[in-house]
Amino acid sequence: MMPRAKLKAQKVEAAQALLADRTLPEGGAWITKARNAAQARVRDMGLPTKRDEYWRYTDPRRLTDAGVVAGALHDTKGEPLVFDQIDRIKLVFVDGVFDEQASDPLVLDGVEICQLSQAARTDLHWARDLYGSLDARAQSPVERPLASLNTAYATEGVLIRVTGKPQKPISLIYLRKSETADAMLHHVIRVEAGAEATVLENGPIATRFNQVMEVDIADGGTLHHIRAQGRDHERVGSAHLFARLGEGAHLKSFTLTANGALIRNDSIIWLDGAGGSAHVAGATVGDGAFHHDDTVFITHGAPRCESRQVFKKVLRGGAVGVFQGKILVDQIAQLTDGYQISQSLLLDENAQFLAKPELEIYADDVKCSHGSTSGEIDDNQLFYLRARGVPEDTAKTLLVLAFLAEALDEIADSAFADDLRTRLEAWFERRG
Amino acid sequence: MLEIKNLHAELEDDSEVKILKGLSLKVNPGEVHAIMGPNGSGKSTLSYVLSGRDGYTVTDGSATLEGVDLLEMEAEERAAAGLFLAFQYPVEIPGVGNMTFLRTAVNAQRKARGQEELSAGEFLKVVRAKAKDLQIDADMLKRPVNVGFSGGEKKRNEILQMAMLEPKMCILDETDSGLDVDAMKLVADGVNALRDAGRSFLVITHYQRLLDHIVPDVVHILSEGRIIKTGGPELALEVERNGYADLMAEAQA
Amino acid sequence: MAVLDETQMREGVDRETVETVQSMAGTYKHGWETEIEMDFAPKGLNEDIVRLISEKNNEPEWLLEWRLDAYRRWLTMESPDWAMLNIPEIDYQEQYYYAKPKSMAEKPKSLDDVDPKLLETYAKLGIPLKEQMLLAGVEGAEEGRKVAVDAVFDSVSLGTTFKKELAAAGVIFCSISEAVQDHPELVKKYLGSVVPQNDNYFAALNSAVFSDGSFVYIPAGVKCPMELSTYFRINAENTGQFERTLIVAEKGSHVSYLEGCTAPKRDTNQLHAAVVEIVILEDAEVKYSTVQNWFPGDENGKGGIYNFVTKRADCREDRAKVMWTQVETGSAITWKYPSCILRGDDTQGEFYSIAIANNWQQADTGTKMVHLGKNSRSRIVSKGISAGHAQNTYRGLVSMHPKATSSRNYTQCDSLLIGDKCGAHTVPYIEVRNASSRVEHEATTSKVDDDQLFYCRSRGMDEEEAVALVVNGFCKEVLQELPMEFAMEAQALVAISLEGSVG
Repeated sequence: MMPRAKLKAQKVEAAQALLADRTLPEGGAWITKARNAAQARVRDMGLPTKRDEYWRYTDPRRLTDAGVVAGALHDTKGEPLVFDQIDRIKLVFVDGVFDEQASDPLVLDGVEICQLSQAARTDLHWARDLYGSLDARAQSPVERPLASLNTAYATEGVLIRVTGKPQKPISLIYLRKSETADAMLHHVIRVEAGAEATVLENGPIATRFNQVMEVDIADGGTLHHIRAQGRDHERVGSAHLFARLGEGAHLKSFTLTANGALIRNDSIIWLDGAGGSAHVAGATVGDGAFHHDDTVFITHGAPRCESRQVFKKVLRGGAVGVFQGKILVDQIAQLTDGYQISQSLLLDENAQFLAKPELEIYADDVKCSHGSTSGEIDDNQLFYLRARGVPEDTAKTLLVLAFLAEALDEIADSAFADDLRTRLEAWFERRG
Repeated sequence: MLEIKNLHAELEDDSEVKILKGLSLKVNPGEVHAIMGPNGSGKSTLSYVLSGRDGYTVTDGSATLEGVDLLEMEAEERAAAGLFLAFQYPVEIPGVGNMTFLRTAVNAQRKARGQEELSAGEFLKVVRAKAKDLQIDADMLKRPVNVGFSGGEKKRNEILQMAMLEPKMCILDETDSGLDVDAMKLVADGVNALRDAGRSFLVITHYQRLLDHIVPDVVHILSEGRIIKTGGPELALEVERNGYADLMAEAQA
Repeated sequence: MAVLDETQMREGVDRETVETVQSMAGTYKHGWETEIEMDFAPKGLNEDIVRLISEKNNEPEWLLEWRLDAYRRWLTMESPDWAMLNIPEIDYQEQYYYAKPKSMAEKPKSLDDVDPKLLETYAKLGIPLKEQMLLAGVEGAEEGRKVAVDAVFDSVSLGTTFKKELAAAGVIFCSISEAVQDHPELVKKYLGSVVPQNDNYFAALNSAVFSDGSFVYIPAGVKCPMELSTYFRINAENTGQFERTLIVAEKGSHVSYLEGCTAPKRDTNQLHAAVVEIVILEDAEVKYSTVQNWFPGDENGKGGIYNFVTKRADCREDRAKVMWTQVETGSAITWKYPSCILRGDDTQGEFYSIAIANNWQQADTGTKMVHLGKNSRSRIVSKGISAGHAQNTYRGLVSMHPKATSSRNYTQCDSLLIGDKCGAHTVPYIEVRNASSRVEHEATTSKVDDDQLFYCRSRGMDEEEAVALVVNGFCKEVLQELPMEFAMEAQALVAISLEGSVG
């Protein structure tokens, strides 16, 4: 075992090496300040390694290595993109760069939308107090250097301020056209008091990506976040969702991930006002050399809040699914209701499920529980279906979809859930 | 035996919610009183306030058992003083054997009263005899307190506790709820067997039917936290025929 | 009477518990100190001390080398920091690593030779050191159950009872220092084979300085005719206790082993770093029960034992079975994860635990179930109770290796909070590397149910009695796994440990 001091020194050295030939992007005073602070955090923390508690099941090197390994593009075979049939305002990014031509005009009642690159040039912007602030706050008790790296160097992304209840969802579409793009996206979303919006994300982003989304939901606000992370095998990426919820605020975040070489999704949710609720859910379908990691950290920092984590993974052919989820209940957060479930269905002997479902509780009048299971398709159920005449493949697909259903049920609007469900059905039927 | 004078109580968390608004009644030794009233009239609150459950604030009035102030006592002191509440919803306690629970309770009360504790042998003999009368089998005595009991089993178990603890003043909170006719008869027989000159009962119920089996000496009608009418068993029959509306209107007139 | 006793056993808390609780009157009952002249090695730790310990025990050269190797490895290691424990820096040079009652300088030939003060100490602890003695609370068992006892006082084993009877069955039960003399081949073969010297920081320390402990060898096919028991006590001040227990169960054998621990009340912290190794061969079965009641510190968090223990069982061959049951109520800090290596096919590991932390106690405890063999099974039931300002963490690992196909694990992990200044934490690691194995983990955290407390109180129990009853109910699944004598003691302990936690 390497001594702790030496390990830390190595991490810091690695960060220095990575930052040595990079210069911070140009921008106005406020963003320069946030970027400087974020850069300093990365220097202090160093880069993550497998020896870090929250990287024990996922090797972060491919996310921070100097070069990007080229990855073949996925052939969609003309299949329409997720959410295509849904009326929405479209913001298109190609390999992590905003494509104004392909996007709708950034105009929608009840919302202000602005590109990060433009806002960063001005000195007066509402995002000034928010950009990098949730990232900074969430560095304790768990260090998240990749997020700070993003805050320091990202130049692309959107700033969304929801002031009313827009009629249409805001849809971020990520197209991947280069085999070597290395992208950073940083979005900031502020939902004002009592406002409500839906944000959709879909697509593979880039061959390598580092994405941060900082969400601040004021008292009584609501955000629905539905994300489909694309199906490209040969890509690696890390996405951080940071959210602060005010009094009576609500967040529902759902992610569908299919394949990828290495995908790590961190959700760091802070229930900061009484009576808020946060639901974070994920459905993962992995086949082959796929390593998928969902890491969730929910802090109950105020009384009477509710949180739910529902994560389901279907894995085969060497796919590895990781779930690390924590419910932390502060001493003042009495009457907390916290629930967490993580389950995996392993379709063949090569799949793996690695989980660390944690509770850390400092208030007594709470109801918290978690469950975690791993296993294969239930033979009895399969037999029952076959005895009723359902062919084995169909029966398996049916059972897999049933297994994923609890996560999809976390999507409030059934139109989106149905869209994703149909998509999953099609994939399974084709692949068998 | 039990004397309640001008009792006012509200929710501890919300003083806007006033439930008892000047309730008075007096139960003499050996008497059986029934309290009837519509939902929300304060029947269960009365039983909780008397037995000392947290969550209520008494703002005025008094309640005494044989002249001793009940309201100043802790729940267990009230029990030791001879007050017994048969719960509307008996609580499940996983892992704690019914027998263990009973013996701990019996001996706690005996100790509080300065009596010798029952030896395990004596206790077992007594409990078996009493359980038999209530058709409570050995299995039910071994199972954890109320866990997996049917509605009827829970209520019979309450009466068994009553029989074992030999209280002076018994409050039965909607003991008939969730019981079929046979089960109600069994429970009522259990209660009737305990009636004697030194023991009083306050039977809280929504319906008259229980009172066919446990015949009361006095019937009170409770409405909006106050007794609005007192009479004999015939009053219960009147409620059965005409409902509470007339009585309530009468009280308001 | 037989019927009655049966009922008592099935029920949970019984009259004895309440009586015991009353008689103990609210304070740590083993907090006295015995004044006995001690023979100390000089304070501090270095190679000379390691040599001295080895020499005092008249050990062979290989064992001295083994200890020195452990010591050198320890020097390169760091105290683990991953547990949710706030461990003050320990000055290892301020400890005594060897303490022995002077009257023991010559090994006693029989119990008659033992300093009467020591016997008095054990009488106070309620340990029967005389033959044919029944353990308390076994009413109705006509013949009484025999329990062979080995007692370890500070660092030295004091004498083992029932030796003849055990020898007739072929069972070896003696102190490990005796085993080194009398059965060196067995010790050499198995020592460190389950917990290697460099397994972890505290195991390395123990390997270097262990002074005594118990040794058990059950020959093939033998069902040990009685329960074996060791009582550990730390008496001398500034003395660390580093006992080492080695249990070997040959093919087809069975043994049940009980361990109890106490220490005097002191306002300085004392170190306890033990290692328990269990080797279980084909079809053999070992049941290991612990009631750990080391002094937990006072209500202000002063004093108490630092308990850093490595316990591991290796189900080395097919169908071997181990069962750990622990009731942890003592120690200022507990760092302990009794583990099962399920190496053979169809092996079984079970872990039942109650951990109670009150006042300023800190506990980080749990288990590891490492499934290597096919069709291996494990079950974990953990009940954690936190009160006062205590922090209580369950930490566990369930690992299904690729070859451990068709294996099963079930984990149930419940925490109870009493008061709003304490913490209850659950940190399970679940690693499933094959599809045919099934793993289920469930955990809940809640407070003591107000309705249940009110129900009990409305039947006349006072608040502490009600809490003790409800908490014992919460712990029932684990208590019922303990041998009966221990179950009674454990129930009483549950009640005592929680005193002052309500109101």
